[in-house]
Amino acid sequence: MGFPTVMAVLNSFAPVWTKGFQGFTLDYYARLLRDPIFWNSITKTMYFVGATVALHLGLGFAVALALNTEIRARRFFRVTAILPWTLPDIIAGLVWAWMYDPLSGIVNDFLHRIGAISSPVEWLANPGLVMPSVILADAWRGYPFVMLVLLAGLQAIPKQLYEAAKVDGASWFQELWHITLPNLKRMIVIATILDIIWQTRRFGLVWVMTQGGPARSTEILSVLAYKNYFKFFNFEYASAMSVAMAVFLLVVGIPYVRMIVRRA
Amino acid sequence: MRGRRARAFTYVFLTAVLVFNLIPFYWMLVTSFKTDAEAYAIPPTWWPLQPTLYEGYGKVLMWTNFPRHFLNSVIVSLGAALLSTVVGAFAGYGFSRFQFRGRTSLMAVLLASQMLPGVLLVGPYFKMLARVGLYNTYTGLILAFSTLTLPFSAWMLKGFIDTVPHELDEAALIDGCSRVHAFLRVVFPLITPGMVATLIFAFLLAWGDLLWVLCLTSTDSMATVTLGLSRLVTQFRVIWPQLMAGSVIAAFPPMILYLLLQNYLVKGLTGGAVKE
Repeated sequence: MGFPTVMAVLNSFAPVWTKGFQGFTLDYYARLLRDPIFWNSITKTMYFVGATVALHLGLGFAVALALNTEIRARRFFRVTAILPWTLPDIIAGLVWAWMYDPLSGIVNDFLHRIGAISSPVEWLANPGLVMPSVILADAWRGYPFVMLVLLAGLQAIPKQLYEAAKVDGASWFQELWHITLPNLKRMIVIATILDIIWQTRRFGLVWVMTQGGPARSTEILSVLAYKNYFKFFNFEYASAMSVAMAVFLLVVGIPYVRMIVRRA
Repeated sequence: MRGRRARAFTYVFLTAVLVFNLIPFYWMLVTSFKTDAEAYAIPPTWWPLQPTLYEGYGKVLMWTNFPRHFLNSVIVSLGAALLSTVVGAFAGYGFSRFQFRGRTSLMAVLLASQMLPGVLLVGPYFKMLARVGLYNTYTGLILAFSTLTLPFSAWMLKGFIDTVPHELDEAALIDGCSRVHAFLRVVFPLITPGMVATLIFAFLLAWGDLLWVLCLTSTDSMATVTLGLSRLVTQFRVIWPQLMAGSVIAAFPPMILYLLLQNYLVKGLTGGAVKE
């Protein structure tokens, strides 16, 4: 793993493979900074990662809270809530792409039946709709992991804390704010960091749904870097791009590494 | 009356979530039993009018390369899982039992390597494998996947080995066992559940991957299920019943394995941040 990393970093500074070593250059990074396609993909990545992580956290937290109460059929609800995450992301992408099918898909049919739309919506072909559609599909697949982590955290909070709060007459919201959230902080941080890392690297789901299109409206960094490597064979340029991505991920990941290592 | 109303609200919310969770599965299953013509009906049918096994499952198993892709997935995922678990067990033993200089930093580096994006590594891997003649081979894919899963395996197994008291292997050493023997005879049997869990996780990681097989194989006979299915969808005309039938089959192994192992996974990734 070390060797390929070194090679990639080296390659982003000098065309080692294609032309042989001829000294270092910053040309590729300079080109990156001037490239509107690169900046477009940074924007798309931020949009995609920001929205999916927020949805995973929101939905994951809400479902975890609901599953942490005394209800019947808790196991059943729990197992079904994990199911989406067990699908490989490309299969989730395939199924959603098919659900979004304009003419024979279930989404348009449902919206048509309840009278919300009168003509078919092109979810994945309309540049304005495609990103939210992909995000919804990813939110569906990704939230159960956050839910599992937060549920584990919730179950570890001592029950006495809540009983004491009840005696003091605390409201549901006060309990949430003063007991649940502070005690869950650590798990929220870990889940958020891991999710940001995974979502930034997400490739398969977006690839099978849109391949970055239409008109680059879902061309996130991993898709753009892949295209540069294996479609256009711009190895040096793609390396520079992935190094930029790696630096971002490492910066995000450092707190996680520190938290885990300190514990071990 | 906060209790009753809150409970009713919880049920309503969970039922809504349940529907949201299951609809894609429902659509996948229903489509896989439809005929090709019915899948393209406008408006779509919510229940197959003439349920058929042949059009979806039959054709995908007999007319396409799907069985081969499935077999490839099994070989590659299993190979990578075995390799990374065995190597990871030795690495984990080293991290757990020896105090050496730079141990903590090495562990941190190992963990940080998990953050690297696949697109960074896959290019150099492509070049390396091509140079040594392992491009488009099982061995090449297994090696590539093992390096991906090894850091996680080593970390997880270190956690499991930590739970085995070190007096046990020290006693074996005093009885004249070598380190390797002490590990294999004493520690190894005690961490079997951990080994199985690690094995399955590495397997799942390799099973779900698309980027690496896309970049490290060239022929259809080397493709895995994920690659095979993704190629079907980029074709000019997508035959959805076949594609959904293939997806159902390909989704089955990971689904079972994840459900068996959900608790281990949370522990492994959060480093036991939850109090037991």
